[in-house]
Amino acid sequence: MTDDERKARELFELSIHRPDLAGADADAELQSLLDEHIHELITRGRSPEAAREEALRHLGAPLPSVTARVHRSAEHRERRLKLTDLVEDLFADLRYALRTFGRSPALAAAAILTLALAIGANTAIFSAVNAVMLRPLPYAEPNRLVMLWEQNPDFNWYMQDAAPANMLDWKEQAGAFADVAAYPSFPSNTTLTGYGEPILLTSQPVTGNFFDVLGVRADQGRTFHWEETWTSAPRVVILSHRAWRTIFGADRALIGKSIQLGGRDVQVAGVLPESFSLPGVDVDLWLPVRWDPASRAQVSFRRAHWLRVIGRLKPGVALESADAALQVVVKRLQNDFPVTNTRMGAGLSPLHEFLVGKTRLPLLVMFGAVAFLLLIACANVANLLLVRAAGRERESAVRLALGAGRGRLLRQSVAESGVFAAAGGAVGIALGWWGTKALMALQPAGMLPVTDVSMSWAVLAYAFGATVLCAVIFSVAPTVWTLRRVPADVLRDEGRSVSGTVRARRWGEGLLVIQVAMALALTLGAGLLVRSYLLLLRVEPGFDAHHVLAVSINLPGFRYDSTSKVAAFYDALQRETRALPGVENVAVVSEVPLSPPTWSSQFAVEGREPILAGSHVVHREMSPGYQQVMRVPLRSGRLFTPADREDAPLVVLINETLARTYFKDQDPVGTRISFDRVPDSTSTWRTIVGVVGDERQSNLGEPVRAEFLAPHAQESRSAMNLVIRTQGDPALLIPAVRQVVGRLDPLLAITSTRTMEDVRSASLGRDRFLTVLMLSFAGVGLVLGIVGIYGVVAQLARRRTREMGIRLALGANAGQVQWLVARRGLALTMIGIVAGISIALGTTRVIRTLLFEVAPADPVTFVMVPLLVLLTAGLASWLPAARASRADPCQVLRSD
Amino acid sequence: MALLKGTLDVLVLKALSFGPMHGFEITRWIDAGSDGAFTIEAAALLQALHRLEERRLLTGAWGITENNRKARYYSLTPAGKAQLKTETASIKSSVAALRAILDAR
Repeated sequence: MTDDERKARELFELSIHRPDLAGADADAELQSLLDEHIHELITRGRSPEAAREEALRHLGAPLPSVTARVHRSAEHRERRLKLTDLVEDLFADLRYALRTFGRSPALAAAAILTLALAIGANTAIFSAVNAVMLRPLPYAEPNRLVMLWEQNPDFNWYMQDAAPANMLDWKEQAGAFADVAAYPSFPSNTTLTGYGEPILLTSQPVTGNFFDVLGVRADQGRTFHWEETWTSAPRVVILSHRAWRTIFGADRALIGKSIQLGGRDVQVAGVLPESFSLPGVDVDLWLPVRWDPASRAQVSFRRAHWLRVIGRLKPGVALESADAALQVVVKRLQNDFPVTNTRMGAGLSPLHEFLVGKTRLPLLVMFGAVAFLLLIACANVANLLLVRAAGRERESAVRLALGAGRGRLLRQSVAESGVFAAAGGAVGIALGWWGTKALMALQPAGMLPVTDVSMSWAVLAYAFGATVLCAVIFSVAPTVWTLRRVPADVLRDEGRSVSGTVRARRWGEGLLVIQVAMALALTLGAGLLVRSYLLLLRVEPGFDAHHVLAVSINLPGFRYDSTSKVAAFYDALQRETRALPGVENVAVVSEVPLSPPTWSSQFAVEGREPILAGSHVVHREMSPGYQQVMRVPLRSGRLFTPADREDAPLVVLINETLARTYFKDQDPVGTRISFDRVPDSTSTWRTIVGVVGDERQSNLGEPVRAEFLAPHAQESRSAMNLVIRTQGDPALLIPAVRQVVGRLDPLLAITSTRTMEDVRSASLGRDRFLTVLMLSFAGVGLVLGIVGIYGVVAQLARRRTREMGIRLALGANAGQVQWLVARRGLALTMIGIVAGISIALGTTRVIRTLLFEVAPADPVTFVMVPLLVLLTAGLASWLPAARASRADPCQVLRSD
Repeated sequence: MALLKGTLDVLVLKALSFGPMHGFEITRWIDAGSDGAFTIEAAALLQALHRLEERRLLTGAWGITENNRKARYYSLTPAGKAQLKTETASIKSSVAALRAILDAR
């Protein structure tokens, strides 16, 4: 290797160590040593022959053996040095990559930020997916746990709560289960006294074997026994770890002592471990259900369905055989209890699946969206790297010509990708950590049925995997391009290689099409959600939510043990609240609209054949004046009056849906109905006195259900909502209402106070959350796509500036030459749009159940969104074209 | 006279501490320095040079001699300089110890 060659190689950071050349190098060195010696001997006067002989003798061994030894040592040296060079090369590659960052820091920062956003979004969403869907439930052998539920085709029931008597029969008769436990599907409230002000605590009743079935041991004390299911056992309570810590100051001496709950002494049996949680149930206290053993024989115990039932399969029992065993019991119950169970079926699903079922789809949709986003970001960065690689075309070609292995060039582009990915990944994981917290904080209450969504090793591993995937994706194009490059072409063309740049451009354009397609598909998905959300916003809730405050109150049954006491309290409450300044009108109602109904039944119309199937209706109770407070219109007949007392004739109102469904064009007012499916002599008959407008029940997206409204005076309930129409901001009234309640019953804690505006807004929370998230993901994706278009067209414009200059000089107008360049961007966008629409058509079906009155292939969305994309793409294509065409032709032609 | 085992490396390093030299210059330098006492065989010298370069104590590069001939010139790296220092110290103390033993009467 000559010195110049060596210098050139060093300049281009190529290895100067070549084991293959070591032999020749050593020969030359040995020869030079001999020559020097001979030269010296000759200058001392020896003859050339003698000098040569003496020099050879001086070698110390015959020439061939010396040659062999020197070859060996030289080769050994080169091999070793080359190896250590490899390591140094790696660092050199990294330094080189970092140096290229320094040359265009804004570009590098943009690329890293792009990646970081995508990886951060992926990390945050994955941590939710991991916590909700992947992490096993925190119970012993969770895969043996199943949820048992009831179904009934007559009521359109599927996966419904079970009746307690049925649950007890499953527990005793289905041999496939080690045990079966249950808990009411709604938590209750209880007031703790003796610890300062009365505190309202949420409590979850459970059967005595509940914790044994889950395999959860108490952190302190004990869990419940099965006997404690019944009223015969003394009252006990188990504290959640949080309540024990925050309310009771982590007092270990509390176990075995009594606390005052709802005015009664209850013994603290134990404290649950901190790690315990039941998805969707976040309570302070756990209480036994305390069923009366006598009630087991009553019809109501089999008619009312309000239990979530969890079974633990016997070891080795498969889901199918457990289901078969359950069906045997179901058949038996259908025969034995025709009044309640004729068409009552049951089924089971894995507990985990049941608990996360509703969250799964939104989560997967978000997960899919961020995956798209990651691909878009990767394509974007890949394009950027490709442009840089193309810019170094000549340099790379020179290095290839100098004998740089393609491997070396490859390593360099991979190192560059790696540095980008690593930087993006590191910032992304930090963003993801923050995003996970934001996700938990901003989610609508109870959307993610877990309390612990945190960064775990699984999440970090995922983020790392995503980063590596990015690095691989965006090294592919520059790499393949490097491998296929022919240096001679590049050098011959004085760096304006046609073949090379064409190839680079193809890759870049391919990446652009992918970006546009992905971004469009993402935006179409988001567009569907937005349209669905807008339609939801337009749904009439059936009441006027402005200036209404709703105050929930639950009277403890043992102190308010008669309907007259309950009525007296609510009468006084309404009277005193009405007297408050700023109050227009007051009423009480069992459930405010936009909250799930708690009572449903069948009914029969007097003088008609019993409706055997499909007569399931929901019920509410209210005071006279409710419709005036909520501004629900009266359609026919009359509203309730104070005269509709307990001892007056029984009356009901029906909503429009009920009137339409069951009375068609007939006037229902005056007709008598009963809440029994098949009325008999003991049935109670009530007269329909009016028809009122529909109020939306569970949420705005669900169709209105047929509903009966009864006067509170005739159908007493201890848990009611005080609704107050105010003149000003309803929230300002809250302290005054609290005072009123405190004056009427100092031991009573208010369950909740909400304005009806909040109720309405909260009912849209899940849709809004999902829509906003999807919209932001799509927005980022779209911006990246547009930036990609801009970048590619700008590249193109730069390359063709000369040509555009010539055309302008020859008399073409600006528009013509702009079109020359811009059309390329538009053509690519069109291809991307077509591809994106096909992707979207294939995938939006997945979100069908998340959409309200919008088809997954909604024509409006599928026209508007691509148009919007085309428009912005047009702008992104035209801008660089316009700038290039403004360049002075003379100057362009003069340069290079 | 033959060299003591292992001393050729340190002599080479010492020679190069005065500046870059090619193989024959090193031979001559040692020759002169020892008043002809040590004769260095070419094969041994080249192997030593290759070995030292492999350990990154030297770097070698082709250059042109005063006689206008091509020769491989070697120069010390910082690591080589450090190595020379420690080797010199250790050989000096060995020699002192040897002398103490051999001088004993």
